[in-house]
Amino acid sequence: MTKTLKFLGAALLATLAAACGTSTKTSTGSSSITPGTLALDPPFRIASLNAAALGAELGASAAGAELLLVAGAPACGVDFYYIKFWTVGGASEATESSGALMVPTGGAGCSGPRPVLLYAHATNPNQALNIADITDPTNTEGALIAAMFAAQGYIVVAPNYAGYDISTLGYHPFLNAAQQSGEMMNILSAARTALPHTMSAATTDSGQLFVTGYSEGGHVALATQRALQAAGATVTATAPMSGPYALEAFGDAIFYGQVDLESTVFAPLLTTSYQHAYQNVYAAPSDVYSPTYATGIDTLLPSTTPIDTIFSTGLLPETALFSSTTPVIPGQPALTAALAVPSDPTNPDTPLFAAGFGSPYLINNSYRVDYILDAVADPDGAVPMPTAGVPLAATAPTLGLRLDFYTNDLRNGDWAPAVPTLLCGGDRDPTVFFSVNTGTMAAFWSPQVAAGLITVLDVNAAPSGPFAQVQAGFIGSQAAQLAFYQSAEGGNLSLAAAEQQLVEGYHTAVAPFCSLAARSFFSTFVGAQQ
Amino acid sequence: MNLKLSMLTAVAATAALSCALPACADDEVWNNSFRLGAYSVFYHSKADDLSGPYVPAGVNFKAKDLETLYAGYVRRVSSAFDVELALGYPPLSKVEGRGPATLGSVPYNGQTVSSARWLSPTLLVEYKFLSDNSKWRPYIGVGVNYTNFYDRNNTAQGDAASGGPTRLSLTSSIGPAGTVGVGYNVSGHWHLYTSYSISRVNTTITADTAGVIRTTQIKFGPQAWVLSAGYSF
Repeated sequence: MTKTLKFLGAALLATLAAACGTSTKTSTGSSSITPGTLALDPPFRIASLNAAALGAELGASAAGAELLLVAGAPACGVDFYYIKFWTVGGASEATESSGALMVPTGGAGCSGPRPVLLYAHATNPNQALNIADITDPTNTEGALIAAMFAAQGYIVVAPNYAGYDISTLGYHPFLNAAQQSGEMMNILSAARTALPHTMSAATTDSGQLFVTGYSEGGHVALATQRALQAAGATVTATAPMSGPYALEAFGDAIFYGQVDLESTVFAPLLTTSYQHAYQNVYAAPSDVYSPTYATGIDTLLPSTTPIDTIFSTGLLPETALFSSTTPVIPGQPALTAALAVPSDPTNPDTPLFAAGFGSPYLINNSYRVDYILDAVADPDGAVPMPTAGVPLAATAPTLGLRLDFYTNDLRNGDWAPAVPTLLCGGDRDPTVFFSVNTGTMAAFWSPQVAAGLITVLDVNAAPSGPFAQVQAGFIGSQAAQLAFYQSAEGGNLSLAAAEQQLVEGYHTAVAPFCSLAARSFFSTFVGAQQ
Repeated sequence: MNLKLSMLTAVAATAALSCALPACADDEVWNNSFRLGAYSVFYHSKADDLSGPYVPAGVNFKAKDLETLYAGYVRRVSSAFDVELALGYPPLSKVEGRGPATLGSVPYNGQTVSSARWLSPTLLVEYKFLSDNSKWRPYIGVGVNYTNFYDRNNTAQGDAASGGPTRLSLTSSIGPAGTVGVGYNVSGHWHLYTSYSISRVNTTITADTAGVIRTTQIKFGPQAWVLSAGYSF
């Protein structure tokens, strides 16, 4: 009896004691908000796909199947990690940001010491963008870098950017070279902290670093190269792609009337970014923007509202950046004429430029005139007429926005790439003009181009040299796409309408081919001594 | 299975030993009783599909059956009624993944993904048939079960499927319970019992993987067969 009671008592005590314990666990949050700090360690793995599963996943959609045709079948599996880290905004505000750490997995060439590829994504109006989320079918750029780089053995690190996803910054520091290059370096630091603690720790950082990015990300990549170089960090090679590098020249070209596709999306992103960073764009948005659109323009983008809805509900014009009524500059008839709606029938870009004019329009004529007068008083070396060496304006511009372009123009900073650099783009790009940007940088750095340190690649040029296959592939895909638009499946479009469709998709179409060129370029350095 | 066999052996041995003890006036009435035995728990679990970020459709769970130690205290209220406080040694209940064969390329269906211990006392009021001096006394009972989950852990496989180290929380459950059984008076103080019990145990599971929160509700629907020996005094 006594023994029985003792046993029961012991069992009950053991039970109650055990009930007080717990062994639950999850990632540890950092108490530090120092830029570059990994906020949650280890990071969350969104998906783990072996090479076959990744190929099947991508191949399940038409776009993914096309991507695989360019990128090739995955050689590695990929673990997709969603990393959160601390950075600062355009005005040095502390903010949490997020991004992707894509880790190759598998056998030789996929695990062990692998190079890190730091990638900067293109402009995206979707505030909820999470480039790590390979399960999101709208995340086409995430799929692109996974297939092109991670599945071929590169450890890919890519921020979503401050102002996106979990960031509570409230705006995006768009084309802010200092902020965005800083954020790139912050996520690189966080990713390197995270990697050994992931479930893919068999893959390690080899120490080699490649930097690339597309469109906005092309600018970010080149700015990051400059910042890493200034910091004395190891960079193996870089490949900025289709970026607006020569911002002052590009801005001048647009204000002169060479309006690019998607300029009505870029404009509010730019003015909001620079107003937060430098407080010099306007006293009120209506100083820049027409009354139709001024209200709320400073918080419009990026947004969780689809961009098509933003257009259709009248919050932003789809193409009309400027008024179709030409502003009159007293006493300057030639300059007035230069601001007219483009109508030169001999210029194949006239329809594109002319689409940037209309009513209602986004930017006030008075502001456009102020900008142009500043450009005339202190011209950029590349626009409207290129001068030798295409230098920046001789002195800092007076107008706030143009000064901000000048500040973030990558000719600025008294520097030139010190490691092999590939500048890739397509010469018919209607969104980020090739000649004004890539061409200007190539001219600005002509000694480095001549020395072979900088390679300039136009994927639309006649195939030749080490990237001939890439060029042939792009040209062939454009021809196939044109034929598709004219087919029954593609809508039986007329040749003119099909060409218009091709123009609208051109900037996006260049991305996989330039990425392929970048991978080919980088592959010549993988494993080589630094 | 080995645990089950050893517990059944222990119960039989306890009953056999009782025959050697000198006690045993068959028609005496005792007010208190302790019982010790074995539970075989059969889950009839039904769970909602897991919901939350990055979860594909159809991700579900199933609790695995188990055996554990049973202990109970019974207080005689009258010739016809007892009150029983039933406890089990908190079993380590394992949960299996049900749904897609893999999540991405991580095996899922049929994998043991998590475990938790249950502190699950049940208070029952039992009605006994026949008289106090009957050799066999069938009984039925109703009551309430309280379940608290602790030592909640994802397995390595569960962490892999979840996307990383995962903190699990499970809400406590209070629900009705019922039992039907029969007691056999071996001799004097000693009795043997067998019963079949059912209770309602529902919980909301919240999984936190690096701040990514997923939830599901699970109804365990445990049914337990108990074989025990009792000592009354």
